[in-house]
Amino acid sequence: MPASPRRTPLSWIVLGTVTVASLTLAACSDANTSDSGGGAESDADAADLAPGGDLVIGVTSDPDTLYPWRATQFQAVNVLGNIYGTLTELDENLEVTPGLAESWDVSDDGLTVTFHLREGVTFADGSTFGSEDVVHSLETILDEETAAVARSSLARVETVTAVDETTVEVALSSPDASLFANLATVNMAMLSSDDTEDDLNTTPNGTGPFAFDERVPNQSISLARNDAYWGDPALLDTVEFRVIPDESSIVSSLQAGNVQMAVFDDPLVADTAAGADVTVTETPQLSYHVLQLNARRGPLSDVNVRLAIQCGIDRQQLLDTAALGEGEITGPITSPAYRSDPNARPCPERDVERAQEYLAQADVETPVVIETIVSQGEYATSVNEAQNLKAQLEEVGIVLELDQLESGAFVDRWIAADFDAAVALNGGRPEPDGMYGRYFTSDGNLNEVAGYSSPELDELFAQGLQATDEDERKGIYDDVARHLEDNAAWVWLFTGYTYTATHNTLHGFVPMANGSLQYLRTAGFTG
Amino acid sequence: MMLEEFLHNGVVRRVGQALFTLLGVAVVVFVMLRAIPGDQITSNLGTEAAALTPDQRAALEAYYGIDQPLFSQFFSWLGNVLTGNLGFSSRAQTSVAELTLQALPVTFELAVLSIAFALVMGILLGMLSASRPNSARDAAGQVVGLAGLSIPAFLLATTLMSVLASEFGFNPNGEPYARLLQDPLLNLKQMFLPALVLGFGVAAPIMRTTRTAVLEVKSGDFVRTARAKGVPPRRLQIRHVLRNALVPIVTMTGLQFGYLLGGAVVIEQVFSIPGIGRQVLLGIQQNEYALVQSTVLVIALAFVLVNLLTDLLYRIIDPRVRAA
Amino acid sequence: MTLATDQNAEITARTVRPRALIRTLTSNRSTFVGLVITVTLAIVTVLALFGALPHDPLAQDPPERLRAPSGDFWFGTDQFGRDVFSRVAAGVGNSVLIAVVAVAFATLVGTAAGLVAGFYRGFSDTAIGGVTNILFAFPPLLLALALASVFDRNWFTIAVAIAVVYTPIFVRVTRGPVLSLREVEYVRAAVSTGQSRLMVMLKHVLPNITSIIIVQVTLSLSWAVLTEASLSFLGLGTPPPAPSLGSMIYEARTLVTVAPWTMLAPGIVVVLLVVGLNLLGDGLRDTYDPRNRGNR
Repeated sequence: MPASPRRTPLSWIVLGTVTVASLTLAACSDANTSDSGGGAESDADAADLAPGGDLVIGVTSDPDTLYPWRATQFQAVNVLGNIYGTLTELDENLEVTPGLAESWDVSDDGLTVTFHLREGVTFADGSTFGSEDVVHSLETILDEETAAVARSSLARVETVTAVDETTVEVALSSPDASLFANLATVNMAMLSSDDTEDDLNTTPNGTGPFAFDERVPNQSISLARNDAYWGDPALLDTVEFRVIPDESSIVSSLQAGNVQMAVFDDPLVADTAAGADVTVTETPQLSYHVLQLNARRGPLSDVNVRLAIQCGIDRQQLLDTAALGEGEITGPITSPAYRSDPNARPCPERDVERAQEYLAQADVETPVVIETIVSQGEYATSVNEAQNLKAQLEEVGIVLELDQLESGAFVDRWIAADFDAAVALNGGRPEPDGMYGRYFTSDGNLNEVAGYSSPELDELFAQGLQATDEDERKGIYDDVARHLEDNAAWVWLFTGYTYTATHNTLHGFVPMANGSLQYLRTAGFTG
Repeated sequence: MMLEEFLHNGVVRRVGQALFTLLGVAVVVFVMLRAIPGDQITSNLGTEAAALTPDQRAALEAYYGIDQPLFSQFFSWLGNVLTGNLGFSSRAQTSVAELTLQALPVTFELAVLSIAFALVMGILLGMLSASRPNSARDAAGQVVGLAGLSIPAFLLATTLMSVLASEFGFNPNGEPYARLLQDPLLNLKQMFLPALVLGFGVAAPIMRTTRTAVLEVKSGDFVRTARAKGVPPRRLQIRHVLRNALVPIVTMTGLQFGYLLGGAVVIEQVFSIPGIGRQVLLGIQQNEYALVQSTVLVIALAFVLVNLLTDLLYRIIDPRVRAA
Repeated sequence: MTLATDQNAEITARTVRPRALIRTLTSNRSTFVGLVITVTLAIVTVLALFGALPHDPLAQDPPERLRAPSGDFWFGTDQFGRDVFSRVAAGVGNSVLIAVVAVAFATLVGTAAGLVAGFYRGFSDTAIGGVTNILFAFPPLLLALALASVFDRNWFTIAVAIAVVYTPIFVRVTRGPVLSLREVEYVRAAVSTGQSRLMVMLKHVLPNITSIIIVQVTLSLSWAVLTEASLSFLGLGTPPPAPSLGSMIYEARTLVTVAPWTMLAPGIVVVLLVVGLNLLGDGLRDTYDPRNRGNR
């Protein structure tokens, strides 16, 4: 998804005008700060953990909706992800694993997918989950009236049929290798065919490891263990997401022991939280910082100008200055299984001379002026990144004219593709077609915003969907990334971390690169 | 003007004025919200809203009630408000009336407690200062008052909170908010710091007002007359002085109280107090039009009522006051 | 931040005489302290506006981040290696600039409206009174907040947002005395001699309320500084990377354990600034408030 999935409506207030966030490397090597690379090992054996206990998680804001098919806000996705089940799931390495579908077969032509559903699964209200719920869910998501945000992931689905109580057949218009990863999001949650949107808005009813218990608007939302969960039941009795609007108040609450867990974007906040009783874990994220270029407007329609920008930027300097080194430089694809080589591009290192050569080849008047939109407050580093990019490109002869906008105004301009360039933090997905197909295929629903497409890319994306062999797919998406970089469609900059602060008695939780809190189901307290 | 007369003529005029004011507030808040970039769709979906098909977008606009022309949006909202329907918050999935009924008493309590703190601090300091003008005592009182005026509330609030939490483990505001009637003890613990911080800021003007009023009364002719008549000084102090100082203090208190109803946002934010200010703040951030419009209207109504009440009280305490 | 409007309402209208003003400001000790603080910070503001600072307040220098105060960095450095002293100085500049523009706007518009309402009465009084009531009934911080989100956020729109909040105060403070001045004999006489009402208003009424306005201006300046800081705290103050005292304090909250100077410097300076303006305002008020003069 284009917006960072971590985007919280409150982030623009809570992070507000905070410039950046970051701590020195020295501060990072605190005894209580540990690294978890993508899929980490859990730090205590499940055997040591006592069942029971009540976990309180500090969050800055309430979910803005409890309707899973329209939830994009970080808090909403996290809460609902623990309540609802999906046909497929992602494990800690972001590999697709069975969920409500125990297994699936794909026909030889790739046009028919048969899901075999898990038996004996019930919703929190006691009703049985079955094929009619799957048919209902997928068909309702496809209905435009529902305004489901993941509708486009089902673009190639033609019909959904219940073969019997536990078998569902999905007919596709063309092969879709990305379908299984795309199904593993709470936006594709399986809802009971008996529930209406109004019901679920007040009383979520899912098949997940936790069940909705109580909500006090603007204050808290509480979940209780679902004892009828089909997998290993969760250890914790209850999980409460407690709204504490001010991040430094969350830190106070962690230190005083009122809350036992919180997730921060800001390394400095995380650093103040780390202490004798609190451990902070750093997790690399799929979301990426990028300078989006609109190759259909003004001087940027010339590939040489775009390449000049790519060559004029030192990503490491940007990372060090704007985010104080808290992250990794990146290429387009950020998921571990398909990760692009960040150096596979015309200018792996900053090269001002080459940048100027490109600029000289371009048919433009210098200095080139690029109208650049920057969101202020949407995420902590945006303004600093923009300032640093501006300073670096000035040396090449390119002027970034920065337009700092409030979140609302930024989103309006972004949606309308009303910019030459945009400094953005975009959400990543585990599967590259889901991540970029909608941006860079000529009929993708975000192609206008992406501002770039080509017949070669269309062809590559189509091949990627048809390929079934993992190595073959990896090769195709390497080509996609290479094509994007060679044409400097955008300039990919770096990926950051999230910081999970947990009380030292809490173990078994695994933070994930997509920010999901699904491993609350394996978390528990010691002793 | 006598009280009865005020009640007869004044009230009609006042009510008319109040209605005009409320209508004005309604128009201003309505227009202002529409002028803020974005709508509820973009604040919920963020840039993901770009992926909506036109039909999906239309469905959402209907869902959030923003598909109608502005005029009919305004009048249907106003009509609803007049019949007691303040609208619905899709985010909280509750009626705005219900949310407001929950939040208003919280802020009301906070305001009452802050004013109580402020009155105690302000009147004591003021009398202390005035008892011996230009002495060290006076200076000390004035410095405390000045500190209250000059230290930003959020600075005091965050500092107090983080020091108490990290050094003493005292952080009642990390617990879920306890309503006064459910758990009075925890509630008062949670309200203590915020009320203290707010009260400190409000105490300064009250302290100054008290000091000036006491000095004024002390030098006034009638005090001399009373003294000449042989009224004992102690009784003088309490009866006349305080009674006369009360007029400006009541005015001041009313003003500050009205202000606190909407002005405690920052403190509510820092101490996680689910009050009315935070409700509006959240509403503005999420572009929840009906929520913000109705809540601001309720705050304005409360403000107008408090003013009216202050005015009335003012006249009861001091019949000499003429109509403004 | 508090709003106090009526506390000066009873100050008697008086004309300001420059020499007497200077004498007052220097004779009372606390007023003098206020004057010294204000003038010092004003000088810093001017220096900052002309760029005469030891370091560039925006220049980032990652290797020098979070240095404790030293000869090089008088108030230490922040998380980006920016010089805290230069940022505080520039921040004072920004805060003062916003406060001054906001209060100037509020003074001009508010005083003009108050004069017209009080002097002409009739419809203009009703209309101005109506608008004033509306603005008063609107929660002030929320009004500023909404205004700041409507427009592109920069120092000027923030100043305007604060101005809108403070304008009604000036209307109220002006209108009352004008009402009584209108009935004063020489004003009536001037009107009856056939001078235009506008001229009478400007020549005979306005000079008599300058003292009230000056007092209100000083007090409003200090509130405006605090309002700007509060807005920054809610994420709606001066946009980064421009330094403002409020946003510096806000950012420093997360640094306070590792680098307390990042919080102390702007915190102390904002308090000093407000104290200075308040002391000055008090001195002026005492001068023009006959009730207090005997006590000083």
